[in-house]
Amino acid sequence: MRILIAEDDFASRKFMLKFLSKFGECDVTVDGMEAVDAYLMALDAETPYDLVCLDIMMPAFDGYQALKAIRDIEQERKIPEEERAKIIMTTALNEGANVNKAFDLGCVAYAGKPIDQAKFESVLRKLELIP
Amino acid sequence: MSDDMITEGMLDMFIFETEQGLENLENICLDSKDTGEFDEDNVNEIFRIMHTIKGASAVMMYQNIATLSHKLEDVFYFIRENNPENVPHAELVDDVLEVSDFITNELEKIKDGQESDGDSTELINRLSVFLDKIQGNVQGETVVPVEERPLQETPHFYIAPVASEDSRFYSIFITYMKNLDMANIRAYMAVNSLKGIAEDILFTPADIITNPESSNVVLEFGFRIALQTTETPDRIMELVNSSAGIENIEINECTSEEFLEFCAEAEAPMSSAGEVLTAPVETPTILIDSQKPQAVKEETAKKEKAAEKENSQAEEAPAKKAPARRPAPKKGEAQSFISVNIKKMDLLMDLIGELVIAEATVLQNPDLKVPGLDLSNFQKSAAQLSKITSELQDAIMAMRMMPLKNTFQKMNRIVYDTSKKLGKDIELEVIGEDTEVDKNIIEHISDPLMHLIRNSVDHGIESNEERVEAGKTEKGRIVLEAKNEGGQVWISVSDNGHGLNRESIIAKAKTNGLLGNRSEKDLTDKEVFNFITLPGFSTKKQVTEYSGRGVGMDVVVKNIQDVGGMLDIESVQGEGSTMTMKIPLTLAIIDGIIFSVADTNFVSPTNSVSEFIRLSSDKLIVEPDGEEYVMIREEYYPLIRLNKFYHLNGAVDNIEDGIVVVLTHEDKNLAIFADKLVGEQEIVVKPIPSYIKKVNGISGCTQLGDGSISLIIDAGALVRA
Repeated sequence: MRILIAEDDFASRKFMLKFLSKFGECDVTVDGMEAVDAYLMALDAETPYDLVCLDIMMPAFDGYQALKAIRDIEQERKIPEEERAKIIMTTALNEGANVNKAFDLGCVAYAGKPIDQAKFESVLRKLELIP
Repeated sequence: MSDDMITEGMLDMFIFETEQGLENLENICLDSKDTGEFDEDNVNEIFRIMHTIKGASAVMMYQNIATLSHKLEDVFYFIRENNPENVPHAELVDDVLEVSDFITNELEKIKDGQESDGDSTELINRLSVFLDKIQGNVQGETVVPVEERPLQETPHFYIAPVASEDSRFYSIFITYMKNLDMANIRAYMAVNSLKGIAEDILFTPADIITNPESSNVVLEFGFRIALQTTETPDRIMELVNSSAGIENIEINECTSEEFLEFCAEAEAPMSSAGEVLTAPVETPTILIDSQKPQAVKEETAKKEKAAEKENSQAEEAPAKKAPARRPAPKKGEAQSFISVNIKKMDLLMDLIGELVIAEATVLQNPDLKVPGLDLSNFQKSAAQLSKITSELQDAIMAMRMMPLKNTFQKMNRIVYDTSKKLGKDIELEVIGEDTEVDKNIIEHISDPLMHLIRNSVDHGIESNEERVEAGKTEKGRIVLEAKNEGGQVWISVSDNGHGLNRESIIAKAKTNGLLGNRSEKDLTDKEVFNFITLPGFSTKKQVTEYSGRGVGMDVVVKNIQDVGGMLDIESVQGEGSTMTMKIPLTLAIIDGIIFSVADTNFVSPTNSVSEFIRLSSDKLIVEPDGEEYVMIREEYYPLIRLNKFYHLNGAVDNIEDGIVVVLTHEDKNLAIFADKLVGEQEIVVKPIPSYIKKVNGISGCTQLGDGSISLIIDAGALVRA
């Protein structure tokens, strides 16, 4: 499985990298814009990411914008539903409105920080990303 | 439940909505008890509630709740589609209530920050059996079977964060001295010092390191930081203020929305993500912002300022979604509600209390007592001020008032459960559930009320056979009534059972040695009945699951006394008994009469003072053991001299020089002797500070208009003394 992590905070980034490395090959980016770039590159190289974890508060592009950009690209390139990347937002913004906004934009899960690792894993399992 | 456990938006919402749904569910079940079936609307409503709970709990990843509600939804799906007859209603109601209990229990765990780990398999199996049974009951070809609907995974998941300290959002605005060089570096230093405590930090201009030009931007428009942290503003200030050249720092707490807005503002020119993507992204977008023409920039700066102002105002009003158990408006009601954190209400209450004290200090200021001062205009304004403060008090009181409805509805369930277990047939009538009481008080009376109801069901109402023998209706009856009665709320629980048995209570009191040297004939019924409120007193021979252990009534009485109330017991043997809780409407601000003894001021709540009287010395009777009585209109009252009671020197000794204040508490009278009356005033009750040990007869203290402290007399304690 290929995983993309976008996270501007060093500590969180390190944590995510360590946590997700056991599930697959992880790439890390430090802001939303870089994340979208990385996503495009992977798509062009035909090694798309299976899982994208986006922080919401990031410089340049925030998580919502990155999420929307990725979904727009998929739309544009007519990538079928089942092949699209699974996107999980990772953030401390837990207000209902934010969560729903992210769901509307097309993320599949929304993980509040600090991240509950057990639940995160069980979501990955439900998404059939890990056995 | 504690108010501050949960501050997390998604969870809050889930819990709130689910609780609401369950409450509805219970009400439907209990309402249908009499009709013996669910009508079409009920079935649809229950189906809808379970569907919502299923969806929400699946998103929140509470699998046990999701599968259980899915199963119950199945049952109601079948009922809705087939409208089967012969549904054993009582059994169904039991199952529904158990599902509701299970979920409520899990919610409690979640609220306490624990895992929801209850196992719902057993309940699910029971529901399956039930479903098979009613499916078997339906004959004919028109049966719409419940298709195998495996619990579908929701398209979304919400991963709740592991419990942690609540982090807050701040917007920080720093301006630097105009002649400062390298303001961008200073700004970066501020950011750097905050990084240690930040969970997330954003700033604008964002290119302070890479772009030397940003120094001028920082100087001109200031430097803004959005910070998410668990630290206090003071700590932030300390960190930011460490670098030189800072002119001003503003730190405001903001909501997460405003935080995001701030982020959006920082990236204002980015109109749509798609567009930016197709454009060659060479210069950071923030740069475009800072190079906009001056005028435009100024305007945005102004707008930002205005928006900021609005934000800071808005901040105070809408408050957090407090997990307050405010009844949500029913559908179709046009009223709109906001829920406010109870802490904020308490704060407002305290502030108004302080205002009342401050008002008194101004209006009764000693400076006004200069002879010959013309105060007519002052008095007019003062009257206006007093009017407004008292209206303000009424308003805050009204805001804290909540109807007893929710509490009473819970009792419905208790009667249902308890009477069923005991095999009694009992109906509960509820009167005056719209009566409103202070929220603090509601919390205190819920438990005692539950206890009284259980007592009535268990001890009060006889078994069905006994009732028939006694020539009563087989169905027992409990009336739960609330009403306002002169500054108090009376909540009474009456049953038409066998009433209290005076003889057996006296017999028990004798064995416990409670009678002392009094003969049983001297005791009034009230005094006898009051024995049952003593610890360890139960005349019930058998201990049941619900009551009879003799713990309870004393706890009930203690709970009621904690909120300044009392319990009144009336009973007629063979006809039933009535327990009435008499509770003050509110606790914090009361009317009081002030009187002084030597240099000390005392206050007594106005409603416990029945009269003041100046007595001649021949009305004073001194017993050989030193106890004193006064005779007022041919009646004797025990007299307490406050100066002796509290060892105060320099007080008036001659009964003719002072004044006698008659206090009434629970039908008992007591005369206390004071030097002189000072006046009447609204007093704000403050607890006695914990470093003072409990003083008998004093329930609190307050500050008077002249700034002096006055002790609040607790008539109840003095009567007992």
